[in-house]
Amino acid sequence: MNHLTRLALACASGVALSACSSLGTGEYGYSSYALVRVRQVNVGDGSLTVTPPRPYNRHRAFLWSDVRDVEDWTLNGPYLDGISFVSGLKGGAYLIRQSKRADQQVPKFRSDMTPPEIVAMLESLYRVKGGAVEFRTLSLQPRPFLGTNGFQFDYEHLDGDELWRKGRAVGAVIDGKLYLILFDAARSHYYGTILPDFESIVASAQLRR
Amino acid sequence: MCARCFEVSRRSLLIGGGAAAAALTTGIAEARVLPKDMVPLVGPGYKPTDKDEQGIWQLMDRAEEEISGSNLLINDPKLTGYLRDLIGKVGGPAAKDFRIYLAHIPEFNAMMFPTGFAVVFSGLLLRMRNEAQLAGVIAHESGHFLRRHMIRSWRDERHKTDIFAIAAMAAGVGGAAGGVYLGDYVQLAQLGTILSLFSYSRAMEAEADAMGVRLLAENGYQPLEMATVWEQLIGEETASARYRRKRRRRGSLFDTHPSPDSRLADLKLSAAEVTVAGKAYDNGRERYLAEIASIRPMMLDDQVKLNDPGASQYLIETLARDGWNGLLRYYEGEVWRLRNRHGDDARAALSYAAAVAYPDAPADAWRWHGISLMKAGRSAEAKSAFGRYLTMKPDASDAAWVRQVIG
Repeated sequence: MNHLTRLALACASGVALSACSSLGTGEYGYSSYALVRVRQVNVGDGSLTVTPPRPYNRHRAFLWSDVRDVEDWTLNGPYLDGISFVSGLKGGAYLIRQSKRADQQVPKFRSDMTPPEIVAMLESLYRVKGGAVEFRTLSLQPRPFLGTNGFQFDYEHLDGDELWRKGRAVGAVIDGKLYLILFDAARSHYYGTILPDFESIVASAQLRR
Repeated sequence: MCARCFEVSRRSLLIGGGAAAAALTTGIAEARVLPKDMVPLVGPGYKPTDKDEQGIWQLMDRAEEEISGSNLLINDPKLTGYLRDLIGKVGGPAAKDFRIYLAHIPEFNAMMFPTGFAVVFSGLLLRMRNEAQLAGVIAHESGHFLRRHMIRSWRDERHKTDIFAIAAMAAGVGGAAGGVYLGDYVQLAQLGTILSLFSYSRAMEAEADAMGVRLLAENGYQPLEMATVWEQLIGEETASARYRRKRRRRGSLFDTHPSPDSRLADLKLSAAEVTVAGKAYDNGRERYLAEIASIRPMMLDDQVKLNDPGASQYLIETLARDGWNGLLRYYEGEVWRLRNRHGDDARAALSYAAAVAYPDAPADAWRWHGISLMKAGRSAEAKSAFGRYLTMKPDASDAAWVRQVIG
């Protein structure tokens, strides 16, 4: 989820994206991304495993900004595409870190949320943190996920940089915790090109008990 | 390292102007400017003759070209025609020269560019309760043009260094730099210089206010509505800040302009001054609501889903002063649902139930009414609400999910 915030901040400060790693020691080769190899990997807090069909870039978590249950990947950089994993977000927790005093806030997750409520929470995430000025739900339908009754949510949004992006989220609430894999990419070219990767990642997803 | 620092996207330009447009939202410290003294300084078909002004016009023409092609604009011909007619009515001598664009951005803002084109944000239309209020904002913006504020501001000694801002704007509108809208323009650090270029002095804001009040009254609108707009804006900012336990919004217009109350007082005095006893003034509420009917649900959606409960609740209650309806009750429920505090699900359920009792309840009110009933264990009633939802919206994007729930 953090790629949303990062996207906004990078643009706001007018610095190149790489400059975001200023927390690390840039000149010694520290990067904000780490390589994900083509094999079974644990994501988020480790309770979910997936196998990517090709190498990906995993955004390194910063303690001060990231939620432990959420992990972000990208192929071409966060402006163009991103896959996020939510690995068992507990009731009462948020998808992202945010100030309690911010005027606009992403709603908190609750264990008894129905798919339309989860979808509305994601929509607010895009509007509040991603700067979406237009958001369209394309479809919300039942879909098995992690061996249970989950849902698939398709959507598209127009962001402040005047680019249309399109996304698909597949998720389920299991024992009151939210498991979700979300793909969001520029609507032209990138969405269609990377969707098969996303589908293969979703198909490979397993709970690690 | 900072290659993008001097690039300004057209997006940012919109916001830059927006901050400028904070125009509308500035305080006054000096003695009140009298409406009767506000003589327009430009006539119909005005074209600049001085070199510096011609230069600014050239840049602004390019900016307008970019803005007019932006996909953030709402291009509904009925709505844009309505706005054009309105500025054609209250725009004074330059009325026929103005162009006006409607941007799909959920924030209170309107701005006038120095060449006579205005950009109005959809969030502003949402907040207007009647045509007189909107006409007041537009008349105020026209006032900036009619009083030649942009060039006067430019020629002011302290603005000379802003040559960099102009250069940056040129680079920005030329290139296709991407800027991401954050819903809070002060966060856009790259706009620092642009803001100073676009912001008018308090004296100029006072002039635009006085000119606006005068144009409003001259065209038969209730001039007091301009003060009411300002009152609503102060109320919303205060409600939002109070809700998050702050004194006021960080970076809000009040930070730089400390006396909103004196501005309000001046607007009221000016309105009284131009009011002719016994004359009937119109506020055009019915006409206004009919004109914006097609985008009102969308605008409410944009606002409420930002989950700023203090502001949204204040706004909905302000709009409801003219009467509750199904649409407003539904969005009241949405405010509670997204706020998501203890007990909010029950509050939201009550609002949805109230919403569906109105004949104008939107289909989505039935869906959320159904979900509330389902979660409360009232499944038979939930099924019937969902059924109603699908009848109203057979091709709903979540129809597959709803059908699964109904079983």
